[in-house]
Amino acid sequence: MIRFEHVGLRYGIGPEVLSDVNFTLAPGSFHFLTGPSGAGKTSLMSLMYLGRLPTRGLVTMFGQNVNKAKREEMVLLRQRIGVVFQDFRLLNHMSTFDNVALPLRIAGKPEKEIQNNVRELLEWVGLGEHMNVLPNTMSGGQQQRIAIARAVITRPRLLLADEPTGNLDDAIGERLLGLFEQLNRMGTTLVIATHNQLLMDKFPHPRLILSKGHLTVEESKFNLRKKLEGIF
Amino acid sequence: MIFKFPNPRRERTLGKATGKRRYDLPLNRNDSARFLVTLIGLMTFLAVLAISAYFALGAMSERWTSGLEDKMTIEIPAQTAAGLLLRPDEMAPITQAAANVLQNHPSVKSHHVMTAEEIHELVKPWLGESNLSADQMPLPGLISLELKPDTPRDTVRQLGEQIASAAPGARLDTHETWLKDVLRFTGALQFAATLLLVVIGITTVIAVAGAVRARLAVHRSDVELLHLMGAADRYISSQFQRHSLMLGLTGGAAGTVAGAIALLIIGWVSGEMDVNLLPSYQVSGTQIIVTLILPLVIAGLATLTAQRTVMRELLGMP
Repeated sequence: MIRFEHVGLRYGIGPEVLSDVNFTLAPGSFHFLTGPSGAGKTSLMSLMYLGRLPTRGLVTMFGQNVNKAKREEMVLLRQRIGVVFQDFRLLNHMSTFDNVALPLRIAGKPEKEIQNNVRELLEWVGLGEHMNVLPNTMSGGQQQRIAIARAVITRPRLLLADEPTGNLDDAIGERLLGLFEQLNRMGTTLVIATHNQLLMDKFPHPRLILSKGHLTVEESKFNLRKKLEGIF
Repeated sequence: MIFKFPNPRRERTLGKATGKRRYDLPLNRNDSARFLVTLIGLMTFLAVLAISAYFALGAMSERWTSGLEDKMTIEIPAQTAAGLLLRPDEMAPITQAAANVLQNHPSVKSHHVMTAEEIHELVKPWLGESNLSADQMPLPGLISLELKPDTPRDTVRQLGEQIASAAPGARLDTHETWLKDVLRFTGALQFAATLLLVVIGITTVIAVAGAVRARLAVHRSDVELLHLMGAADRYISSQFQRHSLMLGLTGGAAGTVAGAIALLIIGWVSGEMDVNLLPSYQVSGTQIIVTLILPLVIAGLATLTAQRTVMRELLGMP
């Protein structure tokens, strides 16, 4: 589904922030992306949500080489990706409802379908009573839930989330991780960038670890234990 | 699950989203929109005046041309080529000889030999109320004539030669030189009006493009977000197009109304001045249609400019 081969990224004439990155994400997989601050997590995420093109190497998304994709093909590729940004990037002149409905409207879905799906999802994330409220008047946790609802409303094939539980209390954080797992079981590929060690320990998924622009893939401890049990 | 609307009182305190959702980008909430509407209004106002000037000049040329193109004058100078002044009784046979040529010519519709009194009336405004009488001055003989419509230019030239041969010294004045000058002058003014319309169009394009670029810069983050969500360039550009269309229509309509009022005032003032030199001018149906279409053209121009500007800017995003 997603393949990065010898991918490098630099801004302008500066040094490479990502260097020789290689990994493959199978359809329906769930990965955590982790690493220290400044390691290049956000840059790697921007390559995955097609906000940037690599300065070298090959990026293949859903079987398509993004360097050679036409502009209209890139639009269709992006519509298959849901993103939860670290700073939420909500449109503050729009109600909560309209923010969440936006990806469906962009995709040209009928208004009746939009009304039903958005209301159902907002109820689910506990914002059913805030549909007509402007996001900038809500708490950080509530804004984060709007951002998550907006990212998953189209049931994307790939969901990228940058610190999605950062502003949430543990209970809601775990509930949202539960939603992500549910989406994953329905076939959505997930990459969640996080520093939360407890969360990563609780949900046994492989990790993409970035350090100084270089990436290593680490199997989850749970999977390793299962493999070791198989050997001995 | 049944959806419950939140308590309106609580929502007000939280910041309720008011009105129907219209734009994904808050383009309708800025002061520069008012500036752009005013600018488009002023441009349209000038365009209405330029269009009116264009049509008025065209109508004047038309009337002057149609009023004079078949009408000519034969002048019999009061002085011979040798410098001798002719008495009235000496001029009469020459005038009659010229009139005889006209009498028998198939292309002449009518002619009139002007009497001494009529010629005196013509020069009276130049002499004023002074003691100098027209009787004391040598005056030329004049014959006004009207040709049949569509008389060929060669026939007119031949007629002039016949008159010169029958009445030595007589000259056929076709008003061509004077008419050519007037038509060249009105043509130049019409060209200036057209040029003004082009400048107005270019100014509108530059102003709209600048405003769109400024809006794009202000909302760059939101535009980028729509782009990342999979919005096609057309989808994003349509937001700016719709906004520019509305501004163009508002400014265009206001400018057209202001222009129409200004024309009424100009018409009233020129009527009060009792200008007799210029032929009377009626607003034509074509002019009314062009003026009514003007706000649509301006709005269309604004829309097209917005589309081109946004599309060009979006190409900078992968």
